Amino acid sequence: MNIVKLATIALRNLFRNSRRTFITVLVSAAGFAALAILAGYMDFSFYGLRELTVCKGFTAGGGTGHIQIFNRESLQKEELFPLQYGIEANEKIRADIESIEKVSFTMPRIEFNGLISNGDKSISFLGLGVDPEKEAGLIRYWNSLEKMAGKNMSDAAYRQLENTGSYGVLLGQEMAKTLNAGTGTDLMLMSTTVDGAVNVVDVKVAGIIRGAMKSIDRHYLVAPLETAMSLLQTDRVSNIVVVLRQTEDTAPVGKLIETNLRNQGDEQAFSVVPWQELATYYYSVRDVYNIIFGFTGAIVVALVFLSCANTMLMATMERVREIGTLKAIGVSNVWVALLFLFEGFFIGILSVAGGVVLKIIFSVIINNSNVKMPPPPGMTSSYLLKIFSAVEFMPSIALLIIFSTTLSGLLTLLKIRKISIVNSLTHV
Amino acid sequence: MGNDAIAELVNVSKYYGTGSGRVTALDSVDLFLVKGEAVVLVGPSGSGKSTLLHLLGCIDKQDDGRVVIDGFDTSSKSLEELAPLRLDKIGFVFQSFNLIPVLTAYENVEIPLLFKGLGSSIVKDRVDEVLDSVGLYDRKHHYPRQMSGGQQQRVAIARAIVGNPSLILADEPTANLDSKTGGEVLDLLLHLSQNEERSVFVASHDLVVLERIKKVISILDGKLSIE
Repeated sequence: MNIVKLATIALRNLFRNSRRTFITVLVSAAGFAALAILAGYMDFSFYGLRELTVCKGFTAGGGTGHIQIFNRESLQKEELFPLQYGIEANEKIRADIESIEKVSFTMPRIEFNGLISNGDKSISFLGLGVDPEKEAGLIRYWNSLEKMAGKNMSDAAYRQLENTGSYGVLLGQEMAKTLNAGTGTDLMLMSTTVDGAVNVVDVKVAGIIRGAMKSIDRHYLVAPLETAMSLLQTDRVSNIVVVLRQTEDTAPVGKLIETNLRNQGDEQAFSVVPWQELATYYYSVRDVYNIIFGFTGAIVVALVFLSCANTMLMATMERVREIGTLKAIGVSNVWVALLFLFEGFFIGILSVAGGVVLKIIFSVIINNSNVKMPPPPGMTSSYLLKIFSAVEFMPSIALLIIFSTTLSGLLTLLKIRKISIVNSLTHV
Repeated sequence: MGNDAIAELVNVSKYYGTGSGRVTALDSVDLFLVKGEAVVLVGPSGSGKSTLLHLLGCIDKQDDGRVVIDGFDTSSKSLEELAPLRLDKIGFVFQSFNLIPVLTAYENVEIPLLFKGLGSSIVKDRVDEVLDSVGLYDRKHHYPRQMSGGQQQRVAIARAIVGNPSLILADEPTANLDSKTGGEVLDLLLHLSQNEERSVFVASHDLVVLERIKKVISILDGKLSIE
């Protein structure tokens, strides 16, 4: 049998009941559009979450940057005192790393903890010693992301921190509430120095910040590097954060940094950790989203399949006489079913074409409607809904839709096999 | 079975229903059809004409006996397994033409050849030839709805003969046609029998058919009698 001929007949059959075909195509196209929009939202969510992890982070450690350099022992051993396995002379290492073309900048950080007190009340804190100017650079990196245009973050807090001088601190919103502190409030930080002694420094609140997650805000503070160094009595840092020009370069640059460190004989001393290994929240959210999206996708595909199967079976019922005639002539059940399979295939093709148009229309509408999404569980800020083009997902979705409509055509084989030739010849 | 037999029914019975409601459509029928012969089967409604035609056409299965087509015993085969036999050996002409409405005359006639896996040029030549022989070459691009009943039946005949079958079965081929058109269709069927040595087996109660076809088989209550 000439397949092209069979396909031509199938295509003509589609227009025999053009209204029904139109409705089926519309349902399948809506299915495609729904999946494509879902993929676009998923792509937006994952991209946003990824870059948010890099720039702001979901832990008291702040934005992960793209790569972090640690003293290897700090990841393997428990420290007996703060920064026992910190990094010394970080300027040289940073200069080497910054000489790599794809690296935008680097910045040192100190993670420390202790007690913060307003005189009346003391609570524990998780502190991050930072270079405010560099941290503001991470915000600028976020603001430069084309895909996140319109979702700018403010670096005002870091500016305030920089302007307040060495002993300014930024407090998490919840912590500020607990300490009844506001901008300008004097507080005390108390911690253990690298020698094991207790040290206290006076600080002034330079601003209030909101972390990505509420639970972090209760214990989170950011201080200039000098303040942290002064409190801990050290010139070591916890890690070096490397910020690249684009996230996609993380793996190759990470390897290059490793190679460079090895060539400098520092291979044993440092661990080069990409952001992915520091982004447990990102991956747990991604896993949950994948399950939700997968489940939703399965429902949509099932609806498309059922809608198309219904159309196919109705067409089979309407064409009983033709099917019987073909079988009487000597056409086997499989060939007759193949005719319907082609019809399903063409419905799939038309649906994808229509679905692409629907997806574009709805994406444009959604992206221009400034729909504000509520904060995800545990997070503090809402965000504007955006649907990415997600072009890379389109072939898979198209195949899925075409497969389900084609499969529904194949389903007719079950019906065709049962059609009695004799009865069908006089079927009205 | 002799070499000159195109179809043979040996002690064939067919029943419909079960238990006390069982009806005998064919009762131990024996039939021998010779190659190139034209035969008309007559009988009142419900006598078993169509059932006999269906069994000869391998589109239904007998309950007892054997059906042999061109030397091939079909008894142990399913209808699906007999599809190639129908495609090669048997041509059907139905009372209501049974053309595919979305296909042109040419495409309707083309169907059996497409499923035989022949080359496109062979198919085209053969379809054109057959449409010419039934006088519809000029109407080959017309759809069934654009043709008269007689023209549609001629397309159905063309479809039945295009694959060069040895046996052509026609179930009331003139029933839906006026007498003039019915006569033309009958001429065509007899021509196939006389000039192309195909066996033509017609089930009919049209008097014109009875007048034109010499060999008449009567059927009554599922039993045959040859006149």
